[in-house]
Amino acid sequence: MLFSRRLMLGLAMAGSLAGALTFPAMAEGPTEIDLFFPVPVDGKLARDMGTLIKEFNEGHPNIKATAVYTGSYDDTLIKTRAAIKAGKPPSAVIMSANFLLDMQIENELTNLDPLIAADGTTKEQFLGQFFPALQGNAVINRSVYGVPFHNSTPLLYINADKAKEAGLDPSKPPQTWAELTDWAKKLTKREGDKVTQWGIAIPCAYDYCGWMMETLTMSNGGRYYNEEFGGEVYYDTPSMLGALSWWNDLVYKHKVHAPGATPGPAVSTSFISGNAAMMMLSTGSLTYVRDNAKFAYKVAFIPRNVRNAVPIGGASLIVPAGLEADKQKAAWTLIKWMTSPEKSGWWSRATGYFAPNMAAYKTPDMVDFLNKNPDAKTAVEQLDVAKPWFATYKTVPVRKNLEDEVMLVLNGKKQPKEALAAAQKAADETLKPYNAETSLKLP
Amino acid sequence: MSLAEPAALPVAASAAPRLRLLKRFLGRFKASLPAYLLLLPSLVFLALFTYGAMGRVFVDALYQRATPKAPIRFVGLDNISAVLADPAFTGAVINNLIYAVGTAIPSIGLALLFALALARTHAVNSVLRAALFLPVLIPMVAASALFLFIFLPNVGLLDYYIGRLLPVLPNWLGDPDIALSAIMVITIWKNAGYYMLFFLAGLQAVPEDVMEAAHLDGAGPFMRFRHIILPELKPTFLFVIVIATLNAVTQVDHVFVMTKGGPSNSTNLVLFYIYQQAVEHYDIGKASAATLLTLAALMGLTALSFRTMANREGGP
Repeated sequence: MLFSRRLMLGLAMAGSLAGALTFPAMAEGPTEIDLFFPVPVDGKLARDMGTLIKEFNEGHPNIKATAVYTGSYDDTLIKTRAAIKAGKPPSAVIMSANFLLDMQIENELTNLDPLIAADGTTKEQFLGQFFPALQGNAVINRSVYGVPFHNSTPLLYINADKAKEAGLDPSKPPQTWAELTDWAKKLTKREGDKVTQWGIAIPCAYDYCGWMMETLTMSNGGRYYNEEFGGEVYYDTPSMLGALSWWNDLVYKHKVHAPGATPGPAVSTSFISGNAAMMMLSTGSLTYVRDNAKFAYKVAFIPRNVRNAVPIGGASLIVPAGLEADKQKAAWTLIKWMTSPEKSGWWSRATGYFAPNMAAYKTPDMVDFLNKNPDAKTAVEQLDVAKPWFATYKTVPVRKNLEDEVMLVLNGKKQPKEALAAAQKAADETLKPYNAETSLKLP
Repeated sequence: MSLAEPAALPVAASAAPRLRLLKRFLGRFKASLPAYLLLLPSLVFLALFTYGAMGRVFVDALYQRATPKAPIRFVGLDNISAVLADPAFTGAVINNLIYAVGTAIPSIGLALLFALALARTHAVNSVLRAALFLPVLIPMVAASALFLFIFLPNVGLLDYYIGRLLPVLPNWLGDPDIALSAIMVITIWKNAGYYMLFFLAGLQAVPEDVMEAAHLDGAGPFMRFRHIILPELKPTFLFVIVIATLNAVTQVDHVFVMTKGGPSNSTNLVLFYIYQQAVEHYDIGKASAATLLTLAALMGLTALSFRTMANREGGP
């Protein structure tokens, strides 16, 4: 007989031994928590996160936090969801700020209000630490679901050397779309039909494309989605039509922007190599440009057509639903520590993101840093006109509904008007089940 | 047991041979027990991760959850019809067919060419073989990241060399008309060396004496290829075709790294579509339905190929 009694006995003993080994550890040792963190920009972030968590653990003997690298923003959402589904949610996650609404709708987030109240602070006091523009993506139905951790805005990057060459003054960057178009025309170089230097590059790949469309729409006076309710997007509006038409004109009328959909890394490489004289890109790429540009560059606000406005980007700290009380409490301690002025300032200097905590900019280290790197100020100044980041039910597919159509326009396969009508139709379809359960469900 | 009196056999009498059969079966089982035991670990994993998962997919395909607040409900074949009505799915199927044919034929052709050219054992040939096999060893993700930079518009390696010749530089991965072909190039580059191995093995199985006889009979290289090598390679061909077809459906790493199915779904393949449904749309029902359809198509295709193979081998 193969499954002899001795074997069975052995298996049973091994099982009970394993049980005996794990249970006391859970009862006596420090509370063990996991922090999922993405690296959306370059690899140095992982090392910085290790430093940060080590420091936290040394200062908090009752908690043992482990930082778990989870890839891009999108991957982090996927992995967090998988962990929640498996019944083993991480205790805290650095989550792309615009995924919070979708997760809240899916009942995947812990409402942070009780934790804030338990600290003896009010919601207003707690949120008051952060730049007002960031609160829109952290608060859902007047409850706090996320704590802003590192954030970004889109910026206009200008190759100052090329601008001077073309007779433009880089200390007075373009402030309106008209001026930008003019700059782009002067900065485009041709040899016959062939373009050897593009005036401007704007990224359009999944994720980035939606963010840039939101940027252009906002500076054209519009809004992109209903900030109060997750079931409506405004793709088929004059403000968005104007935005996409201008982008289309840059490509096909003025011929100062390369045709086709170009991903973010291709845009920054193009800018660094001098192939594109200007680009619109996240402040998250600022460190990369600072380290790699072999020419003088200038960072400026996104020019307006109607008003100055930009969406925020970046990530917030969240606590997934379904955690034990002690883990929740430990995670909350970690989150408060990480978003304190000193730590968020340190993280900002290490990574290039800006610090959401306003007090961070009053710390001596930060004042020093900004004096040395004035280009890091632009994104912070632009925050005065920043607005929340696109967030709906099923954010990623709804965003893709628009992006697919914008890509067709940039490839000359569709005109802006029909593309946006198609995008609106597709998004309405994606949002239909949610609306049927909420806004269309009559009492 | 005699043929003359089958109807007259009493029940008890038929039990004896059955018992004997059982005994023989048990005897055989005992003899092959070690073999089964050796297979057991794989069987456990296969059951857990392949058949179990397949069963789960089958069940999941029948259910749907419209929104988080709505309860999960039984919808029968609704998911299947929803998938079939989705233009993104039909688009992905068409893309996948183009991709399968467009990568299988050139990569198999190249593989055969390489194998024929490098069939003789020779120091130079070994180096060349290794060089051609090298892309196989590079992980698809790494290869894709590499090609991402080769295809980079305006500043990439490809544009650096070809750009001087073309009046307008194509945005290789950003143009829906070109992106799928660009992705296919990587697959062909990566798979040709792999299939070459099978053809090299196949060529070694071609009997030397037959070739020699043909040579003595005055058959030229083309005649030898047409009438001896090609028929001998038939099983290899069929095997490689099956592998290439399966690869066309199972390889999506490059889509994931390079285009995420874009621009405008022009590089969306079936497996990536399933991933999108499950992960981005969070729609397990539809993802399961699409998986079932793909599974059925693949199983049908594989069965057909093996049948053809068996027929060919058994034939004259």
